[in-house]
Amino acid sequence: MNAINLEDLTKKYGDNEVLKRVNLKIEEGEFYALMGPNGSGKTTLASILASVRSPTGGKIEIYGKKPEKAKDLIGYVPQENFSSPILTGKENLMYFAGLLGYSKKKAEGIVSELLSKIGLSEDADKRVYNYSGGMRKRLEVATALFPGIKILILDEPTTGLDPSARRKFLGLIEELREKETTILLITHIGADAELASRVGLIDKGEIIAEDEPQKLKKTSGLKNVINVETMIKSEKVAKVLSRFSEKQKVLETPVGYRVYCKDVEEATPKIVRSLDAIGCKATKIETEKPSLEDVFFKLTEKMVSEVS
Amino acid sequence: MGQITAILGKTIREFLRQKTILFWTIAWPIMWVLISSFSFTENVPSEVVSYVRGSIAISMMAFALMTAGMANLPGNIAQDRERGLLSKLMSMPINPWRDLVGRILALLAFSALAATLVGLVGYICGARFSYTLIGVCQSIVFLLLLSLASAGIGMLIGTFIRHVHGAIMSGVGIAVVTAAISGVMAPFSSLPWVLQQFSKIYPISSANSSITYLLVGEDYAGYNPLTTTQTTLTIAISSLVLVAGLIAYSRFCWRKE
Repeated sequence: MNAINLEDLTKKYGDNEVLKRVNLKIEEGEFYALMGPNGSGKTTLASILASVRSPTGGKIEIYGKKPEKAKDLIGYVPQENFSSPILTGKENLMYFAGLLGYSKKKAEGIVSELLSKIGLSEDADKRVYNYSGGMRKRLEVATALFPGIKILILDEPTTGLDPSARRKFLGLIEELREKETTILLITHIGADAELASRVGLIDKGEIIAEDEPQKLKKTSGLKNVINVETMIKSEKVAKVLSRFSEKQKVLETPVGYRVYCKDVEEATPKIVRSLDAIGCKATKIETEKPSLEDVFFKLTEKMVSEVS
Repeated sequence: MGQITAILGKTIREFLRQKTILFWTIAWPIMWVLISSFSFTENVPSEVVSYVRGSIAISMMAFALMTAGMANLPGNIAQDRERGLLSKLMSMPINPWRDLVGRILALLAFSALAATLVGLVGYICGARFSYTLIGVCQSIVFLLLLSLASAGIGMLIGTFIRHVHGAIMSGVGIAVVTAAISGVMAPFSSLPWVLQQFSKIYPISSANSSITYLLVGEDYAGYNPLTTTQTTLTIAISSLVLVAGLIAYSRFCWRKE
């Protein structure tokens, strides 16, 4: 059964078409990641599903119902930290339990279970401003895990989390997946999207590719990627490296570049020599399997996330 | 536990835990009661000084209700919008009117607490009143009107000023300026004619004058605000401001883009 069914979904702001006839089906219990850069329309799509925005055209069904009629089935976690920092974790969840119509007694029981599920039982009575970013995000996900909620929509949940908090958070999502909750993860991070059973790549309001993560990589034709870390990053360095890359394009990373070439063993020493020749030292060169960011780059020649 | 109770509980906890709110709504009016009761009553004849202090205490209670409605409420709305809580609420099966009722009830409960504390400090400072039971009941109705009119202005501010700081400061600014020019913070008789007319139209100052008239006397109110015309005007404009605020909030804050 389809938990989510979108047909020709369109969203316009004036002349700007943010979503262009998007078609998407997500089955019940599926973990689907929608990955794309800023401005690609992924957050707009999530907020339309959550009834926060209205579509310009197309058909949307949540378990066969219109989104407004299916609000009780959806747990939406927006990008912002919406929990109240001056309330405790428990008070925040009790507030949401009240909004969902639970009696105080029933709410106490459910909230206690939720706090235990997200690993915050011991910190339940601390005010949220004392929480770390990861704890706060887990608390906010808990607001979408009340009984009866069947679809979890997470908008960029790991943005701003440190690696340890991110791992812990993704662990929680993995647990939820085992409980057959349908999950729609909105992200620009390839490693997060790889946890999903299916990934959709979205660019300029269109889903440009969609498949299981491994199949997406396989069908992209990318075999190996050379990850080059350099002392400096400049147009000159990028130009030198692009000579070894397919379509003469390299992906810029925070610490260097990713080069896409067919024969890495042959290309690696040449890359080192070429960089030496222009006075740029490669601090690290390693061969890696292609990531979903690489697939996105291959398809669009654009980076999923901006390099800081 | 219904939606209204949940919203009321959350909002009142937030009011009580924010120092800025406690300062502007409780500490600031109390400070003025203390300063005014002793500094501005030195040359007042001893037989009327307690009533002057009474009128000061009433004005500061009114000011507390003004800041609660005009600054705390919009600050709370803007904060919920800024941190994405309103988006989250829109995705849930919640009726916007229940959200509104919950917020207003929280405001009324907090305002009652603030007014009681300010009034109590006034009493300790020697404020005395001359009242009847009916007068007290009528005064409570005018306090409610004052609070609801302030809430109406607060909802308009919270709806149209998107940033928390901007919403709070606009509310405080409007409360301070209008209190000063409408006679809440100064005797009605000392206002120029134009401002006296404004004071009669502005529902908050006319409600304040009505309470002063009922609990202290006409001399301290400056005019009779309990004529049929004036009372109708106070009720009508208070209701109008409140309805405008309710409509703006439910239409614009809960509007889908």
